[in-house]
Amino acid sequence: MIANEQSLVRLMIASQKGDKQSYAVLLTEVQLWLERYFSRRCPPHQIDDLVQEVLLALHKKRGSFDPKRAFLPWLAAIARYRWIDHLRKVYRNSEDALEDFDAPEDSEEETVIARLSLERMFVHIPDKQAEVIEMVKIEGLSIKEAASRSGQSESAVKVNIHRGLKKLSALVEKAE
Amino acid sequence: MASKSDRTRNPLIDQLAEELEPVRPITFRSGAILIALALLVTVLGVEIVDGLWRGIIAGEASAFFLIANGLLLVLGIASASSVITMAAPRVGNAHDGPKWAMAMAAVLPVAAFVTLLGHDHGLSQMIDDPYNLTCFGSALMASILTAGALVLWLRRGAPVSPDKAGLHIGVASTALGSLAYGLACPIDNVVHLGVWHAAPVVVGALIGRYALPRLLRW
Repeated sequence: MIANEQSLVRLMIASQKGDKQSYAVLLTEVQLWLERYFSRRCPPHQIDDLVQEVLLALHKKRGSFDPKRAFLPWLAAIARYRWIDHLRKVYRNSEDALEDFDAPEDSEEETVIARLSLERMFVHIPDKQAEVIEMVKIEGLSIKEAASRSGQSESAVKVNIHRGLKKLSALVEKAE
Repeated sequence: MASKSDRTRNPLIDQLAEELEPVRPITFRSGAILIALALLVTVLGVEIVDGLWRGIIAGEASAFFLIANGLLLVLGIASASSVITMAAPRVGNAHDGPKWAMAMAAVLPVAAFVTLLGHDHGLSQMIDDPYNLTCFGSALMASILTAGALVLWLRRGAPVSPDKAGLHIGVASTALGSLAYGLACPIDNVVHLGVWHAAPVVVGALIGRYALPRLLRW
């Protein structure tokens, strides 16, 4: 069970004051939360790298958390920002396929994660862009394979990936 | 996948916890104070260099002068507030305020151009104005301190939309800069204010949108 919002805020406030023990507990909880968060939109073996990147970003930008506000929406914004950066860097790798991997279900945090989720961002970009980003950047298909499967030309796939990622980067704080 | 007990032994977490130093959290209030100080120093600078127009207090300024500078103030505050908020990101933040303020402030150049259309010598009035480039350039100069303060503020924070942040910095700093220099400008007709006091904001928006994002990425 991942700590609740109030506990995370308390841990983060203590961490900003320099409490190392609270910080270690907080980072451990954050790590668990991020693993679940990324599980639907990342191949399993890439999750560890992405989680480490977000932990480093959290450490570097820990002063940007406003103690009067909620913790998870702040963490989710940083996670989305790093995830989009990660998508830009990802190149085709046949081992990257998500295949039938499913995230573990967990009842209580589902609502929060759903609202902050990565999937939510895809709703706001055109289907053609979301489709090819998913195929090439997440499933690891080549441009040619994605063009064949989606029915788009290869140049259209490239343009749609470029435009889609640009739009996603403007949606990091979008909740609905 | 590793179990939770394995995860607690993540060496990165141990290392980050060991390196932890206290930090002062970012708050909206401290950002607002920083920008208010930057604007105050800019206005003082304008007073020292050019001298503020005393006619404003004496009631000599036209209604359009007050409306134009009021619109620039609202636009500057809306955009600066958005930038200050961007330093502490969160899913659920909306930065729509500046969009509506920009639409509202666009009334200025529109009014100026409509006015020009109704005058036989409208275009020459706009071009021959001896103070046009002075106001335009001075307003841009008066934007630099606020722009620097906003960039520094965001570099301390964690902006997650650098393109939008750059645009809003450009608009906020030039709107406030144009307002600050505008307090020294006694030309209060529609064309001068609507063109030469609004143009710096357009230039600031373009510079902010295309030049600043690289300074804001992290």
